[in-house]
Amino acid sequence: MELVVALGLIVFKVALLIAILLLLPLPLTWLERKIAGHMQQRMGPMRVGWHGLLQPVADGIKLLTKEDHIPAEADRFLFKLAPILALAPPFVVFAAIPFGETVSVLGNEITLYISNLNVALLFVFAVIGLEVYGVIFGGWAANSKYAVLGSLRTCAQMISYEIPMGFAVIGVVMLAQSMSLLDIVRAQSDVWNVVYQPIGFFVFFVAGLAEAQRIPFDLAEAEGDLGAGFHTEYSGIRFALFMVSEYVVMVLVSVLTVILFFGGWNGVLIPLPPLLWFLLKVAFFIYLFMWFRFTFPRYRYDQLMAIGWKVLLPLSLANIIISGVVFS
Amino acid sequence: MHAAQKLWVRTCKKTLRSRSEAAMSHALDKAGRWIGWAFFADLANGLALTFGYMFSKPVTMQYPDKEKWLPYSRYRGHHFLKRDAEGEIKCVACELCARICPCDCIEVVPYEDEKGNRRPAKFEIDTARCLFCGLCEDACPADAIALGQQYEFSSFSSRDLVIGRDDLLAKPGKAMTGGGVVAARLSTERDVLVEASEPRGYNWWRNIRRK
Repeated sequence: MELVVALGLIVFKVALLIAILLLLPLPLTWLERKIAGHMQQRMGPMRVGWHGLLQPVADGIKLLTKEDHIPAEADRFLFKLAPILALAPPFVVFAAIPFGETVSVLGNEITLYISNLNVALLFVFAVIGLEVYGVIFGGWAANSKYAVLGSLRTCAQMISYEIPMGFAVIGVVMLAQSMSLLDIVRAQSDVWNVVYQPIGFFVFFVAGLAEAQRIPFDLAEAEGDLGAGFHTEYSGIRFALFMVSEYVVMVLVSVLTVILFFGGWNGVLIPLPPLLWFLLKVAFFIYLFMWFRFTFPRYRYDQLMAIGWKVLLPLSLANIIISGVVFS
Repeated sequence: MHAAQKLWVRTCKKTLRSRSEAAMSHALDKAGRWIGWAFFADLANGLALTFGYMFSKPVTMQYPDKEKWLPYSRYRGHHFLKRDAEGEIKCVACELCARICPCDCIEVVPYEDEKGNRRPAKFEIDTARCLFCGLCEDACPADAIALGQQYEFSSFSSRDLVIGRDDLLAKPGKAMTGGGVVAARLSTERDVLVEASEPRGYNWWRNIRRK
C-alpha cells in the first residue's frame, strides 16, 4: 500500500510537471510579444481576448491546423524524430530539479521535487547536452542550406558554451560540497552564491543565454541571415514542438540560475512562501531573457566563438582557481 | 624681479598647471572608460533605455477596432459636389476640371435646365484612376467641387469606384475640425464600416516620446 501511494504520487507529480511545462509556452509567448511591443512603443497583441490574452491559443490552433509539410528531399525518419529529440531532454531535466523543500497537504508532507539525485547537477548538464541532437538532426534531415548552416552553427555554439558553463558551476559545487541541487540551495540559506561567485554567475548566465539560443546568441536561427536556421523547413505542429522546447530551455536556464546562484527558494527581507520566492526569482530571469532580446543585436559568428573561448573559458577557469584559494 | 619677468613666470606656471590638469582628466576619462567597459556600461545603458521605453505610451492607433484618424481639413480625400444657398448644384458644367485632370478621370456632360442654366447631366469621377491632386478644385470657377476628408472607400470592384453626380452631392463635405484620433467602432454587419462618434479627438502626436 505504501509503495502504491508513493508510486501514485510520483506519477501525479510527473503528469503535473509535464502539463505545466507544455502549457507554459502559451503565457510566455504572449508575455514576450507584449514586452516586445511595449519596448518598441507598440501594444503587442490586442485583438484576441482581453489585451490579446487568447492570442497564444489562436496561434496554437493555427499551428495545429496547418499543413504538416515534409520536404521531398528530406530524410523523413530523422525529420520526424528531430522535434521529439529537441523536446524530450529539457523535460527530462526537470525530473531532477527541486522547486522547494516540502509542502504539507492534508497533513502529509509532500516533497516539491520528483527525485533528489546526489549527482543532480551532473545529470542536468548531461541531459541538456542531448538537446543539441534534435537541432542538428532537424537541420541535417531537412536537406536545405539554411537548415544545415543553422545546425552547424548550433553544434559549434553548444560545444563552445557548454564547457565554460560546466566550469562555472564548479565554484558552486565547491561551496556546497555537494552536487545535489537540494544541498546547493540549503547551503545558500544565509548568503546567496552570487555574492561569493559573481564571475561564476556571469559566465553561467551568458553561457545559459547561448545554451537557450536567445539573442544575443541566437545564431542557430538568425532570421536575418538564415531564414529560420535549423527549423526553416518545419511547419505546423513540428515547428510548435521546437518552439515549446526553446521556451522550456529558457525556463530551465532561469530555474538553474536561481537554484545555483540566487538561493533557490530562500527569501530575503520579505517573508513569502518559499515556492513563491522561487517563482518570483525565476520570473525575473525570464523577464531578463526577454529584456535582453529586445535590447541587444545579435553577435557575429566569429565574435560568438571569441567570447566563448577567449573570454568565458578563461574567466571560468580563473573563477575555479580563485574559489579554490579563497574558500579552501 | 621685473614686472615682465613676473608675468612670464606666472604665465608659465598657468600653462603647466592647465596642461597637467588636462592630462589628469584625460587619464581619468580613460580609466572611466575602462571601468565602464569592464562592467558593461554600454549594455546597461541600452537596457535602461529599453526599460524606459517599456513604460512609455505606445504610439499605436488601434485603427479599425477602437480608434480612427480624422484628417485635417486641408486633407485631399474623396471628392464632393457643393450646392448653393437655394439647394441648386453649383456646378456649371464648364468641364474645366475634366480638362485639367492629369488622369482624365472626370467626365462631364452638360445640359440646360428649366431656368436656362448650364448644369451637368452627368458628372462622373473614376476614383480608381484619380490621384487626388486637387487640381479640379483649383480649376473650378464656380467653387463647385472640392476634396473632402473621407478616405475609406476601398472596394472589391473598380466599377464601384466610378462615382456619379448624385453620389458626389451626397458625400460629406469638409469639416473644419480634424487632425485628431477619435473613438471608433468597426461594424461589419452589412458593409465594413468604421464608425466614428465624436467630431474632435486627441492629438496623436502627444504620444510621441521625444527623448
